[in-house]
Amino acid sequence: MSHERTASKNNNENSRKRKSNVSLRAAAHLHSNNYTDHYIHTGALPQKNVRNTDNPVEGYPNLQKLFRLKEKQVANHSSAPYGCRLDIDEMVPTLKNWIHNEKMVFDVVMIGCLTDNQFIYPLLTGLPIDKLISKPGFLFIWGSAQKINELTRLLQNDGWSKKFRKSEELVFIPVDKKSPFYPGLDNDDQVLFEKMQWHCWMCITGTVRRATDGHLIHCNVDTDLSIETDCPRKSAIPSHLYKVAENFSTATRRLHIIPARTGTEFPVKVRPGWVIMSPDVMLNNFDYKRYREDINKVGAHLPVRNEIELLRPKSPVQKRNS
Amino acid sequence: MNTQLVKYLIENHAALLSPPVSGDLANIYILFALASNPESAGMEQWEANLAKFWQEIREIADLCAGCFVFASRSYGSATLSSRDVSVEYIDVQALKMIHNSTVSAPVEFVRPIRSLSCENAEEMTLSDRLLSVLDSDAAATPNKKVLAKLEHFLSTKPASYRLGHERAQKFTPHSKFIPVCGNRSHTNALANIASITGNRVLSLDGNQLAATEQNIPGLSRCVQSKIHHIPNLKPQTDKSLGDCSYLDTCHKLSTCRYMHYLQYVPESLVQAVAARSRELNDLESDSKSICLYTRNLCCSVASKSVLPAQWIQCDVRKFDFSVLGQFSVVVADPAWNIRMNLPYGTCNDSELTDLPLELLQNEGVLFLWVTGRAIEVGKESLRKWGYEVCNQISWVKTNQLGRTIVTGRTGHWLNHSKEQLLVGLKGQPEWLNRQCDVDLIVSSSRETSRKPDELYEMIERMVGPHARKLEIFGRDHNTRPGWFTIGNQLAGDSLCEPDVQQKYRQFLHTQRAGPGRSSAAA
Repeated sequence: MSHERTASKNNNENSRKRKSNVSLRAAAHLHSNNYTDHYIHTGALPQKNVRNTDNPVEGYPNLQKLFRLKEKQVANHSSAPYGCRLDIDEMVPTLKNWIHNEKMVFDVVMIGCLTDNQFIYPLLTGLPIDKLISKPGFLFIWGSAQKINELTRLLQNDGWSKKFRKSEELVFIPVDKKSPFYPGLDNDDQVLFEKMQWHCWMCITGTVRRATDGHLIHCNVDTDLSIETDCPRKSAIPSHLYKVAENFSTATRRLHIIPARTGTEFPVKVRPGWVIMSPDVMLNNFDYKRYREDINKVGAHLPVRNEIELLRPKSPVQKRNS
Repeated sequence: MNTQLVKYLIENHAALLSPPVSGDLANIYILFALASNPESAGMEQWEANLAKFWQEIREIADLCAGCFVFASRSYGSATLSSRDVSVEYIDVQALKMIHNSTVSAPVEFVRPIRSLSCENAEEMTLSDRLLSVLDSDAAATPNKKVLAKLEHFLSTKPASYRLGHERAQKFTPHSKFIPVCGNRSHTNALANIASITGNRVLSLDGNQLAATEQNIPGLSRCVQSKIHHIPNLKPQTDKSLGDCSYLDTCHKLSTCRYMHYLQYVPESLVQAVAARSRELNDLESDSKSICLYTRNLCCSVASKSVLPAQWIQCDVRKFDFSVLGQFSVVVADPAWNIRMNLPYGTCNDSELTDLPLELLQNEGVLFLWVTGRAIEVGKESLRKWGYEVCNQISWVKTNQLGRTIVTGRTGHWLNHSKEQLLVGLKGQPEWLNRQCDVDLIVSSSRETSRKPDELYEMIERMVGPHARKLEIFGRDHNTRPGWFTIGNQLAGDSLCEPDVQQKYRQFLHTQRAGPGRSSAAA
């Protein structure tokens, strides 16, 4: 009530306001929208109302600067883009050859993409995957929520659960039902809610501590949620999936295995700093010798850079010590 | 088959069978010939044409047994001749069926083939013609046709989904919706126009708004139709620092140097939107009072009142769940112990997974809020209680400005912008309205651990307003008409179902008696 009184007093003081025929007086109560209701009545999906989809760090100049610096640093210390085109059946034998004969090791391994019908579980159990990933190393597994749910079995498997710790569950949300990443309702009559998301397990092997291992990992830079942005050049894999891994780990040896056919409409593109194994990858140029030379040139980890160290979020313990 | 003739018969069957035509074949032929070609001069050879017409009629009769009943004037002759036959009855439904099956589907394919055979034949090369044949329906193998049909069936949702969705729309009241302006130049311009006192926007200066309109066309219209967030500039504010991570929840508003914002919506806009939604709701209350589609709900869904909110304050870990009875839906938001120092008491994993939740539902849906490590524990518990994880809902938490929360080290390795809600399904309940909503909630975060109210509406759409619904580990703000809430932070009890009242009284009685006796024994 007192607020209204001050408002009217203000009006008297400032008689100019009376001239405008439409009252500009502010509402007394805060307004909040119910986007779930709005979806029911209009069909406008809730994620359309998120206001920082295009630039998640909008409003935070320091974080924007951090993202720019990190992106530049990653680009400057990247191997050439490599593709390894293989049938899905050939993946396990080829990777075994990489492990046993070529002694290849990667620090970041990403498996899967945003499609149904992926052969993730057979791949994970058919490989000595812990030998493919260095210690410490990071494993990202992308798939439908249903597929990721099936991975819970792995945690009951001692061999797996001793080597890998599930540390985060990431979610990717397509922008609408016309998106190439809209999961749809394939062979899923049981679901109670229409599916609008893809899930990812982020696993860690070996030991890293977020307070002291800043040369290996940068924590709390990205979030566990990403919403598709309108990108003019569509690819089968949204670049955000790669960026999360690149922003988190400072390692430069990165492998992406896609155990699924992704079709010809949206190609699997190669990406600097990554070896991409897929039946549909555009390039088939992988060569151990050249890759090793590349990595020797750029180094196995990104160098520590003061500018980035100052900007990146850190554990409070470290702050108190410094 | 002459589809034109079939169509003609369907359209004119009544006239053809009644006097003066009285089903006489020769007359029907003449009428049809006139209708299909008014200037027809083919009357010269009409005998031959009539024979042809009779042939066509018999063709239709062969294709569709029983669609005509013929009568002959020359009794006793074995074969009917075109001269002395008349039609007594035409089965229009049967004719419609063959007409639809021959005409509706291949329309788009018939045309190119026809044009190909007549005028364009010379212009097209052989390869073009072959390609066009391949594209046509004629080239599809039977398997391909069956597959296309199956795919069509699979992608078509049963009518119950659409009806359920429409009903959900009718039963969900229109809430006031005001879009949010995302134009940064508007925000900055309004900062100079707004009169702000005591961290509230009181009004905008109309004259200055009109003046600014010249630089930013459309500003005043936008102001009249959308929510704006106006920078709350203070002497200590340093614009270059950017936005405060806490925004409107910042505790140090008087000293914080980061940007804060105030919501501005003209009162007139709120009133207009409120009037509009009231109008829509009034309109819909009429159609609601007689709900013709009552599947999965009680028949008197529109008129039956919803039970008032019920709750029991109790230690959920020691409570006898058999007091409560059966529920269609259970929601649980346990305080998982995720090895963090939280401002409230947490439960051990075993304390939660040992809860006898299997007592609450023979079949139904359980919603379980989980976080971090608890996602896997939660999935395991659901399985143990007899549920299958069928959905995982994400709650995208937004801040005052409608942006996702990206700062503040909200997670261990990555920041957390969402929370997860597991949806477990037990048995095969037939009474659920599936897929009215998506597995996503976008809404602003409130007090610590308070979950979005949108979930209640989603559940009510799924099971209807009268289904019994339970919330475990609820607090006072969770109590709600139609819901039963239990938790240790609730204030007292409130019950209205007599059977639960009685069982609860018994439970209290045995509890009071229990410890007393054991202490006496000790």
